[in-house]
Amino acid sequence: MTAPRVATPVATTGALPGTAGAVGRLLRTHRPGQEPLRVLSASGQLGYGIVEASLERGLARRPHFIGCDMGSIDPGPYYLGSGAMAAPEAMVRRDLGLVLAAARRHDIPLLIGSAGTAGARPHLAATLALVREVAQAQGLNLRLALIDSDLDSAVLTRALAEGRLQPLDDGEGPLPLPTAEDIHACGHRVAQCGTETFRRALTPEVDMVLAGRACDTAIFATLPEMLGYDAGLALHMAKIVECTSLCCEPGGRDAILAELWPDHFVLESMNPALRATPASVAAHALYEQADPFVVEEPTGTLDLRQARYQAVDERRTRVTGARFTARSQPTLKVEGARWVGSRAVLLAGIADPVMQGELPTALAKVEAKVRALLPLSEGQAWTLHPHVYGQDAIAQVPAGQTRQTELGLVLEFIASDAALAQTVAAVFKQNLLHHGYPGRLSTAGNLAFAFTPSELAAGEAYRFAIYHRLEGEDPAQIFQIRYEALDTPATPAATPAITEACPA
Amino acid sequence: MTHLPAPLPTTEIPLGRLARVVRSKNAGPTCLTIDLFFPDAQAYARAAASDALQPQAVAPLYGVPVSQVRRFELPDIFALKLSLPRRRCAGDPGDGDCYGAQQHVPLLEVML
Repeated sequence: MTAPRVATPVATTGALPGTAGAVGRLLRTHRPGQEPLRVLSASGQLGYGIVEASLERGLARRPHFIGCDMGSIDPGPYYLGSGAMAAPEAMVRRDLGLVLAAARRHDIPLLIGSAGTAGARPHLAATLALVREVAQAQGLNLRLALIDSDLDSAVLTRALAEGRLQPLDDGEGPLPLPTAEDIHACGHRVAQCGTETFRRALTPEVDMVLAGRACDTAIFATLPEMLGYDAGLALHMAKIVECTSLCCEPGGRDAILAELWPDHFVLESMNPALRATPASVAAHALYEQADPFVVEEPTGTLDLRQARYQAVDERRTRVTGARFTARSQPTLKVEGARWVGSRAVLLAGIADPVMQGELPTALAKVEAKVRALLPLSEGQAWTLHPHVYGQDAIAQVPAGQTRQTELGLVLEFIASDAALAQTVAAVFKQNLLHHGYPGRLSTAGNLAFAFTPSELAAGEAYRFAIYHRLEGEDPAQIFQIRYEALDTPATPAATPAITEACPA
Repeated sequence: MTHLPAPLPTTEIPLGRLARVVRSKNAGPTCLTIDLFFPDAQAYARAAASDALQPQAVAPLYGVPVSQVRRFELPDIFALKLSLPRRRCAGDPGDGDCYGAQQHVPLLEVML
């Protein structure tokens, strides 16, 4: 990481100066119906490389605001549990630099949701630190609204006791209701904020919103709703553009522009090679969505049954017909991941067909042998999770379809401490390598190693303990909003107004 | 350009050959959703009418009860969709497909 060497922006926390920011100027000047609201979605995964040429084409269309999604639950429980960001820091810095420069150059609001992958406090703090660094490097003045999405464990334990914490899948899924102990054990607990919270954050003085965990739709639908656009249309538009050009044929990661009118919106990729066709846009409603017609938002339900898609030309599609029904009590999706142990993995291959057949038995026998060889101290424990690639590591293989080729073996060990995980992996490796069994031909060794050491430390392991619906809470009490003004001196290096020394 | 779809074979063919897209993905860490897109109305009609893509036939392939498989028909875009709970929560110790992106495979050889 490059340490900042010049002036740090003067960060003022609390109320912002009363002068209008980019949000105030948009709310004051835009008149729905006179011209479309041009919404530019610059990234669906900020930090994995915004395509600059497509962003520039989008900016040439004079968007009214820029939105970026930065997070997802897809990458698994590690990021929420540990507080680490999934995207590489250098790439996040680059992407933030592009969208911050663009938004300030055009003086339009910039909205970023689910900061730092999982949107918990450490993710928000790490992203904010990069925003400050980029603002300073570019000499930008910026009025920021920050949404904190972390949940106090007491909110969840109370909801659990009162029956207000519910499964999202009618209780049929693999995740039971958490216990109070689960709730306390989660490193971070977050709720997904929606348009109701973005609306509170988007005061007229603000230039940029950086939100912790957020519904993807809130990033793009809130400003349209505040301007008086139909909530159903705004949310449907938001739901599509949050993935940028993924709704196109072929799909891509390039910026997409939505032109929103009072009764329809038009989608157009900012990459001229990608076409938003009625079929490709309609198909996108299915993507990562259990029900293609009904989308639950914190404040109501989006109904897509009457949605219609019409070609404007070869590259643009016009969308109408989505309906939004508000619910009387907001509901929130809540998420939490708890630590389950330290992980080590053993990587090996097996080509010998006899050993392949013997593998399930061999693993059980070697596990018993290793447990006998390695007495555990009080509080120590370990588990083995075999992933046998070529058999059933990924999906159930129907009988008769097992493949008689090489097997890839990933043995995952999760233990109460990292040293134990590593020790178990090493002892297991040697015992499996030389495990004897009836009918064995390859008596010199059962495993092929591509490299050594073949047992590797793999950090800490987490699992989701909370992915549920929280009822009966007021989002205004859950999500805390704070403001920060970053005022970078015009010529940083020469200005004496440096308020604090920079870390080297 | 007029394009007439090639006539479909009258004998059964695997889903992997009839469909244009067969994809799976998580819809949240506890749910799996599978999208099947067909090239034309004829192929869609054949798939939609087949018992092999009904919840009764799909549930055992994924080891879940029939009542937990939801099926959606989208004839306008020649698509079928199946949603079902994951057997393990995404990323749990031992889970082999955190994104659920390779769970379409048990359907590829289903005969239609």
